[in-house]
Amino acid sequence: MLSELLRVALLGGILATDRGAGWNLMLGQPLVGACLAGALLNPGQAWELWALRIPLGVGVLLQLLLTDPALPAAQRPRDAATAGVIGASVAILSLERLHPFLSVTTGGILWVLVGTIAGLLAAVAGGWMEATLRARNEVSARRAEELAIEGRLASFEALYWRGVARLFLRGATWSAAATVAGVAAAAVLLPYAARFVTGPRAGLIFAVLLGVAYGSGFHAHVRVFRRGFGWAAMGALAALLVMWRVHGGAP
Amino acid sequence: MIDPVPVPPPAPLPAPVPRLRGLDFARMTSRSFYLQALFAPERQQGPGFAFALLPALRRLYSGARERGMALARHTGFFGTHPVLSGYVLGVTARLEERRAQGAAIGDAEIESAKRALASPLAALGDPLFWVTLRPLAGLVGILGMALFPLADKVGPDLRVLVCPLLALLTYNAVALNYRVSGVRRGYALADEPAKLLRSLRLASLRGFFERVSAFLFGSLMVLTLWPMTESADPAGLGPAHTASVLAPFALGWIVSALALRRWPGRSVEIALTAALVALVVSTRV
Repeated sequence: MLSELLRVALLGGILATDRGAGWNLMLGQPLVGACLAGALLNPGQAWELWALRIPLGVGVLLQLLLTDPALPAAQRPRDAATAGVIGASVAILSLERLHPFLSVTTGGILWVLVGTIAGLLAAVAGGWMEATLRARNEVSARRAEELAIEGRLASFEALYWRGVARLFLRGATWSAAATVAGVAAAAVLLPYAARFVTGPRAGLIFAVLLGVAYGSGFHAHVRVFRRGFGWAAMGALAALLVMWRVHGGAP
Repeated sequence: MIDPVPVPPPAPLPAPVPRLRGLDFARMTSRSFYLQALFAPERQQGPGFAFALLPALRRLYSGARERGMALARHTGFFGTHPVLSGYVLGVTARLEERRAQGAAIGDAEIESAKRALASPLAALGDPLFWVTLRPLAGLVGILGMALFPLADKVGPDLRVLVCPLLALLTYNAVALNYRVSGVRRGYALADEPAKLLRSLRLASLRGFFERVSAFLFGSLMVLTLWPMTESADPAGLGPAHTASVLAPFALGWIVSALALRRWPGRSVEIALTAALVALVVSTRV
């Protein structure tokens, strides 16, 4: 578990730096984070199919749910960067440890659900921690100005690099801690819930959550744009024609 | 005997004119990737802007005090779009260079030039990169899952690498271009900020990406619903059975679309509530 947590921490730190420091290379998006976590935590050949497919499902759902079409200043504070990593890590590590209690046949969908819910909760809790980080940054910014006036450029740069390191460490510790908390919560709750967990039930919840995610996607990709609905209809028509052609008829 | 003509002492060499070099631009560009590390509501990207400008100030000014005063000019409030910050850095570096060369450029002039460019870049950059391009890149990554079939149904699912790669490529093909060329272009067009802004074509790009985003989402809906419909009725029980299987998805979609209209930005809360309601309903049915 320790080596897995180290990998989660490293990835979480990098993604938090991408989002926080200003790299903004898209690494901090839930889809990317979840898939990278899946590739890093791959528990071996026996689980390979699930271990890679589940993060993809978690990433897709979180990507649609955590895409906010508002301008950054109007957005709610959400830590979308580490949410994907935490969600996928909780799903994979729980899958490995709890499979004796919950069969894998329902597990594919069940673990996507577990990971998505863990990711959503982590996004909200991570957003709350942004406020403390910004208060710390304000203190550092004032100190940086003092150092500049004093002409201590090397100290100014060192202070700035410490700010970058703080972002990394905050992302790393948060990712590891939230993953441990998520796996622990799953280990406590899921064995009790085992008798309720059936394929149809997990399927129903998954279908509802998928519908909510696509509704959120519709809001972000279609509704907020002028003439978005017309372009979406054209896209749907084009895909329908292609599918019709490929499959040679109705579904 | 003729007296030797006294040779006048050589005139002192003029002080070298400080000029920025290609290496300085490269350093400023690389540092602009850390623009928001000390982001705080009061100064926003101010400390980051000063940090990114420091290689230029080191080249232009000599002496710790002079450099420190130049640096302190830039640690105050500054806010623009991080991807487009290079343009403001380039313009500011050009003005600082002229000042170091002896031109009469005051603090206020540099500050007003910074703000005159930073504000429109933020106003044009935020909707383009945050509202349109970043969600579009995520959507392209999701589409990768629908478009690329499983290579081997029992082997590793390589889509776990293909999907994020598609998202990364889509976003960075546009954003990195602006980031890498920003400082040099800002430096070159420092006297023509209006021309600089027009040349970026941010508004037209945004319109294009909005249309692509909506088009691809429509395609994604069909690519998702088609296999769901195919697998909904393996026993051939008829359209009513298919509709009942797809009903939870449709219900979730409608509830989410309506709720987000009423409570925008609350998708997490809506999703968690919907999952909880579905759990309760599933235990009753």
